Amino acid sequence: MPKLIIDNIPVEVADGVTVLEAAQSVDIPIPHFCWHPALGKAGACRVCAVKMVDGPVKGIQMSCMLPAQDGMVVSTTDPEAVAMRRNVIEWLMINHPHDCPVCDEGGECQLQDYTIAGGHGIRRYSGTKRTHINQDLGPYIEHEMNRCIQCYRCVRFYQEYAGGTDFGVMGSAGRVYYGRFEDGQLESPFSGNLVDICPTGVFTDKTARFKARYWDYDMAPSVCPGCSLGCNTTPVARYRELLKMTARRNEAVNGWFICDRSRFANDAVNDPQRPRTPLIDGREASRDEALEALLLRIAQIEELYGSGSIAVVGSSRLALEGAALLPRLAECCSAGALCYFTSQEESDRTLPLIELLSSGKPASQRDVRESDCIVVCGCDPLQKAPMLALAVRQAWRNGAAVYVVPFGSAQGTEGVQKSTILQMNRWLSGVEASQEPKRLYDAISVHSLDAVPLADAKQPVLICSATNAPDRLAETLEQQSNLKLAVIFPAANSYVAAQLAGAHGAVSLEHAVATGKIKGIIAVEADIPPQLLEGIPFVAALDWRMTETVQAAQIVLPTTAWVEMDGTCINNEGRAQRFKKVMNPGVPVRGLDPAGHPPHIHRTIPPGGEPQPAWQTVAALIEGLCGEQITEPLSGKWERLQELAAESEGVMINDL
Amino acid sequence: MKILSDIAALLTGMWITWKHIFRRPVTIQYPEEKRTPYPRYRARIVLTRDPDGGERCVACQLCSAACPVDCISMQPGEEADGRRYAEWFRINFARCIFCGLCAEACPTLAIQMTPDFEICKRDIMDLVYEKEDLLIDGCGKSPEYNFYRHAGIGVTQQRGEGIEEKRPVDVRSLLP
Repeated sequence: MPKLIIDNIPVEVADGVTVLEAAQSVDIPIPHFCWHPALGKAGACRVCAVKMVDGPVKGIQMSCMLPAQDGMVVSTTDPEAVAMRRNVIEWLMINHPHDCPVCDEGGECQLQDYTIAGGHGIRRYSGTKRTHINQDLGPYIEHEMNRCIQCYRCVRFYQEYAGGTDFGVMGSAGRVYYGRFEDGQLESPFSGNLVDICPTGVFTDKTARFKARYWDYDMAPSVCPGCSLGCNTTPVARYRELLKMTARRNEAVNGWFICDRSRFANDAVNDPQRPRTPLIDGREASRDEALEALLLRIAQIEELYGSGSIAVVGSSRLALEGAALLPRLAECCSAGALCYFTSQEESDRTLPLIELLSSGKPASQRDVRESDCIVVCGCDPLQKAPMLALAVRQAWRNGAAVYVVPFGSAQGTEGVQKSTILQMNRWLSGVEASQEPKRLYDAISVHSLDAVPLADAKQPVLICSATNAPDRLAETLEQQSNLKLAVIFPAANSYVAAQLAGAHGAVSLEHAVATGKIKGIIAVEADIPPQLLEGIPFVAALDWRMTETVQAAQIVLPTTAWVEMDGTCINNEGRAQRFKKVMNPGVPVRGLDPAGHPPHIHRTIPPGGEPQPAWQTVAALIEGLCGEQITEPLSGKWERLQELAAESEGVMINDL
Repeated sequence: MKILSDIAALLTGMWITWKHIFRRPVTIQYPEEKRTPYPRYRARIVLTRDPDGGERCVACQLCSAACPVDCISMQPGEEADGRRYAEWFRINFARCIFCGLCAEACPTLAIQMTPDFEICKRDIMDLVYEKEDLLIDGCGKSPEYNFYRHAGIGVTQQRGEGIEEKRPVDVRSLLP
């Protein structure tokens, strides 16, 4: 434990920690470009210079390259160090173009911040600037090489951290070039992180090109609903349009990064087809009218077909707030069935796994990254939960052994990783990869779980999928006390759905419909297959997406998307995380009058801005049916989640 | 001799009064009579064009950020040649305090103040000026400057042919 003094503040840090990190631990900022917490050091930018006043090394040193040692006396404010940093910035700016006004990074640019902070304002160098020809890197990432300051962050992330092979660094000296060998879409399913990781504007988000500036963004901490991992994000919106998704740091979950599937999936929220106004039999109505009509229809159905003819259907993408109110709604309309899953098979597979996870030890993405032995059992993480595959790669890079047990639907896993990288690219853009990409990690293929030497491992993790879980999972977990389990569920809130389904004796909709008693369905953000709706005389849908269920429903009550409300979701390990409202609901300004400027009309609510979160609509139904007013959806078991902060690492619901 | 100084004070005051009676009045009969403001007078804001006739505004949002009363809003867009421009640009003159911070913040010299101070409307909504009301056909106070000639992003000229630029690097060459 070296002890050192930085700017007269004594600091004690762990072995191997650099002077830069030691300074950060006591809130002394040292500028840096090439150093990144997830990538480590490169010593390329020279802007983290400090003066070593006393100790084992003396003079100007790069704080990111120097491990903290006993007796060091560091000054970050020494005139010599300050002059060095100022000169380095001026030197980096020699070739930097004069294009901040037309650069999307402007306002959120590290280079801009440090240039201003270092005091460099007027160009003294009278020579010419180096220029580059840009590449077309596909529909998601914009390339502008003139802005590059050669920090090597992009290539270190792309090749080392994310295992990509089609992007690299070329040339020498002042002509260093970061790009592909030829134009074309980046093949890594994590390429979007280049946007976040570049300290200046070489890589910017093409989907949000020329849309807004950092200081105008509507931003809030959020959680990705793309898969069951619950990676932390910061969605960015402006003028009621979701512009882009950026990664938010959560060391326990996604670390610093997110996958491209999460990053470039704004279309659902911005979809012009989204239901925005309530509908009664296809006729537009006010929210109150629609609620009244729905209450009337519920009463009519009960009168016609008797009590127990209504099914209340939730889903595994519904946030905890709404899902937790559904049992009460089912009671109030004396429903015959409360359903969280439509398919019996999914329900049967998910419920036992949730029980196993709440009694056993769930593995977080951090556990996977720090593991020394990983068993990937009958699934390909890259396909259903890409960030988990990236976590496996980090463990593999640190020397962990990765075993693959192919069985069930995931036979022949050797080919799986390769094909899914290709599939993801096709999913993103329809572009085929030019060549077989390198796999994220090398795995040892074994025929069964027994062949894996689990007993020798210190922190083993077993990864499996809820759709194809191994049979003797409970036994294996019992035998191996330190084994942790990571399950990939089909949807973001499968854990919530299964937990509530277990606690309230819910059945699957398939099962309920098969009894023949169900004559009316209230679908709350549920995707019900059309064949289950056949022969059901009444369907009401609460949803923010234009699904087949919404199209089939007689009464539609629009709800808000996840970025338009506060809510809670529970990820695959049972970690409850809060997401905050990013923007107001409503038709984007861009969608109002694409040709001209927004209209000159004063309004208190924007057009299409009436939808309420699903739980509020459910609460309004409960109030209409049994007169009970609900102002706080999280009560009883969930009460402690009310205090949950969105910026925290989340709370394991097993600890509640 | 207090009385003498009092009389002197009275007479001085009287003399000043009489002197002003015969002076030419400073009041002018506005609006029939008009004064010409100084060229740098800060009044109605305009958007100017560069010497080549292109819109100078790149919708960088710095003016709206600098505006202390938040009366400027805009939406950037991209033209086919990569030029960034304002899809719409709105100044609410009902709110504007003519402080000139927007013109000072403008990196492309697009937004400029003119001496036209006579903006009165019967309906307050008419004081919301859109881009078509703001954009003029001229360079305003700085006739030479064209931002895209300096920006190095290859909009008005090929990449590497702008002012103070080297030819683009050939990454496949080994020559220095």
